[in-house]
Amino acid sequence: MKKRVTWDFLMARYPAFFPLILLVLSIAINLFLQPNMLDRETLNSNMRVFLPLILLAVGQAIVLLGGGIDISVGGVVSIVNTILATRVGLDGSPEKMWQFVLISLLAGALAGAINGFFIAYLRLQPIITTYATSFLYAGLALFILPNPGGGIPADISNLYRTSTPLGLPLAFYVIAILLLIWVYVSSTRYGKYLFAVGGKAEAAYETAVPVTLVQFGIYVISGFMAALAGIAITMLSGSGNAEIGGQMTLNSITAVVIGGNAFSGGIGGVAGPIMGAVTLSLIQNIISFARINTWWETLVKATIIVVALAAPGVINLIRRRRA
Amino acid sequence: MAKSLSVRNIIKRYGGVVALSDGNLDVRTKEVVALIGANGSGKSTMSKVINGVVVLDGGQLLLDDKPVHISSPQSAKNMGIATVFQELSLIPQMTVAENIWLTREPMTAFGTVNRKAIKDKTEQLLSLFRGTYKTDLHPDDPVASLPPDEKQIIEILKAINLDPWMVILDEATASLDGRQVQRLFELIGDWKEAGKAVVFVSHRMEEIFRIADKYSVLRNGKTVGAGKMKDINEKELVKLMIEKESVFTFTRGETKANEKPIYLEIKDLRTDTLHGVSFRVREGELVGIGGLRGQGQRDLLLSLFGDVPYSGTVKIFGNESKFKHPREAMKKGVALVPGDRAREGLLYIRSILENLQLPSWAQYGFPLRIGKAKKDAEQAGASLNLKMAGLGEPVSSLSGGNAQKVVLGKWLMRKPRLLLLDDPTKGVDVGTKAEFYALLTQLCNEGKTILFYSSTDEELVGLCDRVLVVHDGIIRTELSGASLTKENLIAASLGTSKGGAL
Amino acid sequence: MKRFIISPPVAALILAIVLFLLSGFLPNSYGSDVKVAIAQATNIVRLAVFLGVIAAGQTLVIISGFEGIDLSAGSIVTLTAILTYVMVKGEDNMVLLALLVSLVAGAIIGLLNGAGITFLKISPFVMTLGMAGMVTGAIIVINHGNVSGKVAPIMTELIARPLVFGIPGAIIIWLIFGVLIWLLLERTTFGKNLFAIGVNRVTAKLSGVNVTGTNLATYSLAGALAGFGGFLVVGNTGVVLIQLGQPFLFPSIAAVAVGGTLLSGGKGSYWGTMAGAIVLTLITSLLTTMQMPDSVRRMVLGATLLILISIYGRQQALRQ
Repeated sequence: MKKRVTWDFLMARYPAFFPLILLVLSIAINLFLQPNMLDRETLNSNMRVFLPLILLAVGQAIVLLGGGIDISVGGVVSIVNTILATRVGLDGSPEKMWQFVLISLLAGALAGAINGFFIAYLRLQPIITTYATSFLYAGLALFILPNPGGGIPADISNLYRTSTPLGLPLAFYVIAILLLIWVYVSSTRYGKYLFAVGGKAEAAYETAVPVTLVQFGIYVISGFMAALAGIAITMLSGSGNAEIGGQMTLNSITAVVIGGNAFSGGIGGVAGPIMGAVTLSLIQNIISFARINTWWETLVKATIIVVALAAPGVINLIRRRRA
Repeated sequence: MAKSLSVRNIIKRYGGVVALSDGNLDVRTKEVVALIGANGSGKSTMSKVINGVVVLDGGQLLLDDKPVHISSPQSAKNMGIATVFQELSLIPQMTVAENIWLTREPMTAFGTVNRKAIKDKTEQLLSLFRGTYKTDLHPDDPVASLPPDEKQIIEILKAINLDPWMVILDEATASLDGRQVQRLFELIGDWKEAGKAVVFVSHRMEEIFRIADKYSVLRNGKTVGAGKMKDINEKELVKLMIEKESVFTFTRGETKANEKPIYLEIKDLRTDTLHGVSFRVREGELVGIGGLRGQGQRDLLLSLFGDVPYSGTVKIFGNESKFKHPREAMKKGVALVPGDRAREGLLYIRSILENLQLPSWAQYGFPLRIGKAKKDAEQAGASLNLKMAGLGEPVSSLSGGNAQKVVLGKWLMRKPRLLLLDDPTKGVDVGTKAEFYALLTQLCNEGKTILFYSSTDEELVGLCDRVLVVHDGIIRTELSGASLTKENLIAASLGTSKGGAL
Repeated sequence: MKRFIISPPVAALILAIVLFLLSGFLPNSYGSDVKVAIAQATNIVRLAVFLGVIAAGQTLVIISGFEGIDLSAGSIVTLTAILTYVMVKGEDNMVLLALLVSLVAGAIIGLLNGAGITFLKISPFVMTLGMAGMVTGAIIVINHGNVSGKVAPIMTELIARPLVFGIPGAIIIWLIFGVLIWLLLERTTFGKNLFAIGVNRVTAKLSGVNVTGTNLATYSLAGALAGFGGFLVVGNTGVVLIQLGQPFLFPSIAAVAVGGTLLSGGKGSYWGTMAGAIVLTLITSLLTTMQMPDSVRRMVLGATLLILISIYGRQQALRQ
């Protein structure tokens, strides 16, 4: 029996291939509609806006790689935003800000740990569990800040908005750091655990991989990344709004799917989802620029998401028909 | 290195089913112990207990005569025990090398895995089986792309790479071909010399007599005998495995099959695992399909039932038919009892009634006449001597034999003309097996046609008019009449053609 | 799986009764006045009707297994409510047509869901969530922010007002509806096939069940039922809002879980969901009586579902 060098094989070895093409395409179209896109100012402004989704996508990518899914990330973003907006306030001191940044990170990790506990230890289904906690967390955010308001000190959000160390947007450094961490971790023994658990958990268990620990850990990481995203988006907007995380969950999943990670786990990486997040954000930019009627905007954006989510399925369908 | 492992009086239950009620085993270095038993005797459970994959309900394990708890696969590993399973423990999305070295990768100074070292060492391991691979096997191949025999070899390499003192091979030869089995046995010889112990779980007599020094027999969850291989012969072993001397002294009587019309005609049937199968079956024949598991038999039955796409011609009573879905096959009077009843034949949490009537609800109108459905189901159950607490009980409450009766019953109720059976007596107790044999013979006498795959040679010899032995996706030999003997069957299964016409 | 001594629907009903009795201790409650208590209980059940109908479709898709769920139910409710509102314009004789349109619109959306799930192999959660976004987008397009329309008097009569023996029409509709759904699940081939694919799709196919067809039909039906729900909701409230259907979504899933339908599929009943809908409506109304803000309501709902799946939804351990 011959071994087949199939599309599966290619996609598994080089998962970032497809998202790279999509990214280049979106940049091209975007450039066409907005020629000054690559100017330092505009680039920086864009990347700042994209950063929260990028952070969220990285966390979601890791959860998906490990064979799970995290629907509660939007809720965590909202909680962090409302904590910062109420506790630090518009006239808070920088020390207070960093204090609560730390607390937010802990809160995110805790939210993730709660998910991880129910899923890894009580063995509940990830989708329904994180759906339940998404409501819990969204409710908590609303409880902390019932009406939009509050905020963070203007200088801090200005810092975020304007900082361009060495002329490059802050976001680039963040992405670079994330990629470096990922490249390192995925070449360690523990990185392999992640792929094993996401690929086939029973087989990993028989091979004495600490499956439960890995399954717990991915949710803690996701919660932590969601907290980072919450911090980023708070620094971007400068104010508080309990509904801020709402749409972000579906976007993070879409970004990861565009990024080439298998929904079932075990295949993919982090570079792809980062590109996916940027691509998705660029597409949303394109829609704004194409000057579509405001009434149609929601529908168009929603359709793009469905198309993006459906794409892997369509491709597979065509391949299966051909076989 | 440890020197011995003793398993004493193990009890293991899965829910209401007792898999082991008194399991015993003694393993020592430089010995190969064959753990023998029919399907459902508890062999696999025993190896799972030793590997720490399941929790003991009773009994103890002694390592070098000291009691131990093997509470997880990790502790088994730590104690130097490695197991090669039937249900593969490989991650399909990862490569050969990644799978072999998972959790034990050689590291670089930076804490990352040492890719070069892994590649070299994996090549070394792969060379142990060199010459027996059908394709080029590389360390970077994703496991998902490998055929079953190579996957099994990777499993073996993964286990031996742990340098354990004890290796359990749980039906590890099921997917291997003759050359690979030979090489494996050579390696086992090397392991013995190096001071390792091997537990060889199998029900293949020929292999057991080739490789084992000692034996231990399980029957219905109890260890019923143990000793040295040279002190026993095959007949006595079989006697230990089953209660009676042989159930297969089953006489079928004369068959007048040659006069009946041709019911099924198959020409050049091809699927992923079948490479051109052609044969004819007459009405009322009981044709067996033999050969080692995984040679294409399953695909043959499934494609006739409409579940697997194929190329080639299938004619029923001279009319060409190509079923695209089991429903179409059912309409033409074909029925299939699948090979894995838990996964393919039953709805485990639903009631016995629902399982029996699953294909047949449409005939009860709208709204469903449940009363009539119950009566019909009861009748079917009675005719099969089904022992159950009631139709409303979940099918999970039944023993293996009775559960299989439900699978059979759901088809017999529809009065099929062609019955396709994939290893129907697997995991069924001896009493029920006898009932099945009588039933199948009776069905043939009534004019039904049966095509039946069995992994038990005696069944094929005792029951069938003819046996088509499948090897490597084609019919290697057809045995009937005088040539239908166990020796010829085994020879044909292994690919050597001794006797019998093609 | 643990075996229950009392069946989950009965447990849910008992829970509802206990909660209701406890609520008697709250201020502004019925105290010891039996007449008021009955009136309040009736009102709770009447409110539960809408959640119950919307949760019917949810029950079906969850029974169908494979992580079945319908997150587009909320937006379908809003859509059909608006369509009904706009079409009827206060005329009694348009009601039947509006009902038909609601059912068909829901069925089409459900069919699209089913197609994506079955043919494109998209996870039901993701597919229906995405579809929900599209439907909401479509609503905005139709809507342009404002709709003019009116509910027909006959609808208000049937749904909002008491009909027979002082029992609100809505409750009677729900009872009939419940019987119909029971018939569907337990006395039709479709129902038997639905449970079968929820337990084991391989066995189902090898027993002749048309898995694809059953799956598509289930999601279509779920969409149609959500459409019916929207029709009823607008008949009750008389007004439409852009977020009319959204508050029903999460509770509809929780109601199914409370009712004991396995979230993994293959086992369950609509009676359980009905009991679950009553429990959830009770919880929500209790929170309102206690003047708890929306945020607390959300947290309580989230926690309730979490607790429920911890009881009913445990899957196989890695080690047995």
